[in-house]
Amino acid sequence: MSDLVKLIIDGVEVEVPKGTLIVDAAKQIGNDIPVFCYHPKLEPVGMCRMCLVEVGFPMRDRATGEFVLDENGKPKLNFGRGLQTACTTPVGEGIEVRTTTEPVKDAQSSVLEFLLSSHPLDCPICDKGGECPLQNLTMQHGHGTTRMVYSDKLHLNKHVPLGELIYLDQERCIQCARCIRFQEEVVDDPVIRFHNRGRRTEIVTMSDPGFNSYWSGNTTDICPVGALTTADFRFGARPWEMKPAASLCTHCPVGCNTTFSTRREAKSGGKHVIKRVMPRQNEWVNELWMCDKGRFGHHYAADSAARLKRPLIRKNGELVEVSWSEALDFAAGKLQQYGTAVAGLSGDRLSNEDLFQFQKLFRKGLKSHNIDLAARRLAGGDVVAKVGLSSGSNLKELGKGDAIIVVASDLHEEAPVWWLRVKQAAERGAALIVLNVRSTRLDKYASHVRHYAPGQAVDAVRQLVNFAKVEGDSNGDALSAAAETAANANNLVIFYGSEGVDYEETAVIAQHLANLLLMKNGDGHAGRPNNGLIPVWPHNNTQGAWDMGVHPAFGPGYAALETPGLNAAAIYEGAANGEIKALFVMGADPVGDGLMADRGQLEFLAVQELFLTETAQLADVVLPAQSWAEREGTFTSGERRVQRYYPAVLPIGDNKADWQILAEIGERVGLGKPAFAASLIFNEVAKAVTQYKGMDYRTLAQVVKQWPDVGGEDGYYAGNAQKNRAGLGQVWASAAESGDAVAYDVAETAVHVNDGLALIRTAALYTPGTLISQSDVLADRLAQPTISLNAQDAAQMELAEGDLIDVNVAGDTIAALVHINNTPAGLMLLSGVPYVAGTAVAQIGQEIKD
Amino acid sequence: MIADKYAEEIEGILARFPHKKSAVLPLMHLAQREYGYMSEDAMREVAGILDLDPTHVLSLAGFYSLFHEEPTGKYVLEICNDLACALRGADEFVEMVCRKLDIPLGGTTEDGLFTVKGVMCLGACDRAPMLQYNLKFAEHLDEEKFDNLIAYLREEAASGEEPPSVVEKIAAYAKK
Repeated sequence: MSDLVKLIIDGVEVEVPKGTLIVDAAKQIGNDIPVFCYHPKLEPVGMCRMCLVEVGFPMRDRATGEFVLDENGKPKLNFGRGLQTACTTPVGEGIEVRTTTEPVKDAQSSVLEFLLSSHPLDCPICDKGGECPLQNLTMQHGHGTTRMVYSDKLHLNKHVPLGELIYLDQERCIQCARCIRFQEEVVDDPVIRFHNRGRRTEIVTMSDPGFNSYWSGNTTDICPVGALTTADFRFGARPWEMKPAASLCTHCPVGCNTTFSTRREAKSGGKHVIKRVMPRQNEWVNELWMCDKGRFGHHYAADSAARLKRPLIRKNGELVEVSWSEALDFAAGKLQQYGTAVAGLSGDRLSNEDLFQFQKLFRKGLKSHNIDLAARRLAGGDVVAKVGLSSGSNLKELGKGDAIIVVASDLHEEAPVWWLRVKQAAERGAALIVLNVRSTRLDKYASHVRHYAPGQAVDAVRQLVNFAKVEGDSNGDALSAAAETAANANNLVIFYGSEGVDYEETAVIAQHLANLLLMKNGDGHAGRPNNGLIPVWPHNNTQGAWDMGVHPAFGPGYAALETPGLNAAAIYEGAANGEIKALFVMGADPVGDGLMADRGQLEFLAVQELFLTETAQLADVVLPAQSWAEREGTFTSGERRVQRYYPAVLPIGDNKADWQILAEIGERVGLGKPAFAASLIFNEVAKAVTQYKGMDYRTLAQVVKQWPDVGGEDGYYAGNAQKNRAGLGQVWASAAESGDAVAYDVAETAVHVNDGLALIRTAALYTPGTLISQSDVLADRLAQPTISLNAQDAAQMELAEGDLIDVNVAGDTIAALVHINNTPAGLMLLSGVPYVAGTAVAQIGQEIKD
Repeated sequence: MIADKYAEEIEGILARFPHKKSAVLPLMHLAQREYGYMSEDAMREVAGILDLDPTHVLSLAGFYSLFHEEPTGKYVLEICNDLACALRGADEFVEMVCRKLDIPLGGTTEDGLFTVKGVMCLGACDRAPMLQYNLKFAEHLDEEKFDNLIAYLREEAASGEEPPSVVEKIAAYAKK
């Protein structure tokens, strides 16, 4: 092929695509050219000079333009007079690279000597010591001795907080600018920069709060020295004392692959503890990155004092500790006592195994279809099963000629890694179409933006799809141009979320969007790789809950039921009016979330939880569960990637896995001997859920070689993100992939008309909640309840920036701070509070004076 | 706020560049003329006008020695004490200057007239020891020449005549 180039590196011939940098070409044949400032996901800058090599270019005769040949008839090479930086020099046909000659070795050791001349050499107390590129490359390429007088060294500040999350050690910094370039080029939060010059160059920030970025932790991974460390991990442990455990992030539907670094330590009373969380490479999911919520928001799992440790039963009005057998006998007996007046509500953070076992207990054991997610927020799982993002897709492959639509979601706050990947696709040339009621951080990268009126999301989506149906009907409307772009795109990926819309509306939106994907203009988008629908689910395993059939109308694998059970709304109503007598709540807090006022007329309430939540405090029996860090299991991401996570620490107290508790109750209601391993439950899942056919714990653990190469000795090349040895997961195929999806006949819906000021709840990444509040390190970043509106509306209501006012939301009164910004007229945005569905009419109370 | 006070001037500066971001240095000079130095507020103001993160402005203020992050005297004497100048006696010269003005390097005289800064190469190594004040060079300096310079500047300050500012000089240059 013409776009491949042949070159020789240290005598080895290699063929790589044109434009490849020498450093990457060498890496591909296992030739590790040392680097500090170069990173395969950043633009090369050639700042550190560590990658100097000899490069010989074929000589051409100036008069004829022909190659000058030597006596053997081969082109003569010109090695020039100096060395070249391998990280900025692209390959060329016929060039020869030498990386081990004396001049190269001399350059490498000289660069190291120069870097070390202002480096404190405090490796014994440095967090990076043991996995430090500077340390490793010095051992490999440096002098064994120093010519510097140690006391002559310039000493600089060692504890500079760039914010409360990231600390800078100024004298360890080798000024490679990886962190600065990452913040600017990759995540577009250019809040850190160099200040001053020469040896006094330091990294500074002026943002408020300091280093204000959801991505700050990644800079500590790619820092090639111990200059940047996290407040969470610094001085916490040495790298070689810790054991890695592959895991998954539980904070959003992206499903970032992570690694826990754990150790058993005296400081924690001999317990196994999680010392840090780092991204684990999965180029289809999170590449080498993760957001700070995932990195710092893990403390609820293994080291929260608030975790439950023993089963509790209410005796004489008090919850008292009992044995497992007593608790399970009691729960099983009570659940069977009320016939069909029994119901189950589940959270959507639990594993597929838990969720499968949950529906099995109810459907097979208790003969009831009254199960649902406790907090229903986004509908359309059934639609996603038909036209979801096809297997074999990778958002990284979207670019010029492709289109991405994002409806009713603020990806930056709800699923940061998706935001990043969508932004990068737009920067590569993909057309980004954003439909929302207000501006979000996606608008900056969008080619088409439609801010619809509050409450008119469905209508805007319907219009978009209709415009796409009628080809060439550009009547000047921005939406019609967007529709044309979408319809004609090579590939089309659509995200839809739940901002400002209610559950029923999201169901309609999903169907409309499915029709857009199934439209037969050209060859249709649905079913092809890099095409399809991605729901911005509220939690990490909402997809799994749909797949497992935790739904009143679907069994496992979306098998429609003839007689559906009660949905969550009906269950809450039944609990209040006495139609439901026994309720089992797993991994959810409906009372704390305001979905259920109290026990109502319930005669029995069981809660299976990590914490003594508000719902658990009202329960008759509380069953303490293991968090995901204490066991193994699988989650299914919003891209329908089924992924495994592994045990990281020992279980807390006497806690059992959720599936295990459910299976033991199941045994007591006649379901037979319980399975004893999550992998066996998963085998059951793979049989019952047709889409999961062929999957098991071995197939989910399969890995392939990924680019860029990371992990192990390669810490210097692409940072300390962990190599993926534990599995890339598998994406289940949508119905459209086998041609089994037909367009929906979408019911007409009435268009909302708003009276007065509309109120919409918007997402904030650090919205306070049960789990994230257990991470003290994030305490200062938690979002405060805030009302945003524009200056005119504020003036009319006599509100000023910083006022504290009462806002009435779904019957609750919340005190919120007033923030004046560019919110569209007639709209108030409420953030920093739990999810509120749909578009409400704003009811503002009195200003609160102190 | 410079945005209000110098709206027209700022508009003129912005018009000279294809990208807003490129106007950052002239706006920083403008802000420094207004406030005497690049205060944190001044940096935020400039960043606000250009839609930049204020860290970007701080970074430039830190890189270029013509920007001051602390209040300065009326005249900033920027003495090059880089290696080449040091070899020609810049260090001794700096010491003499500090002794004469009775301030440490980086300090400002009590009458608010002079600030002494050590800076990186000014491109006049062959004429060291040298210094820069108000974009003017004073070269081949010794104690006597320095005394004369100080006397001259004190006179100028006493006369109340304002020396042309950096911004005016740059604007004049842009017109050429």
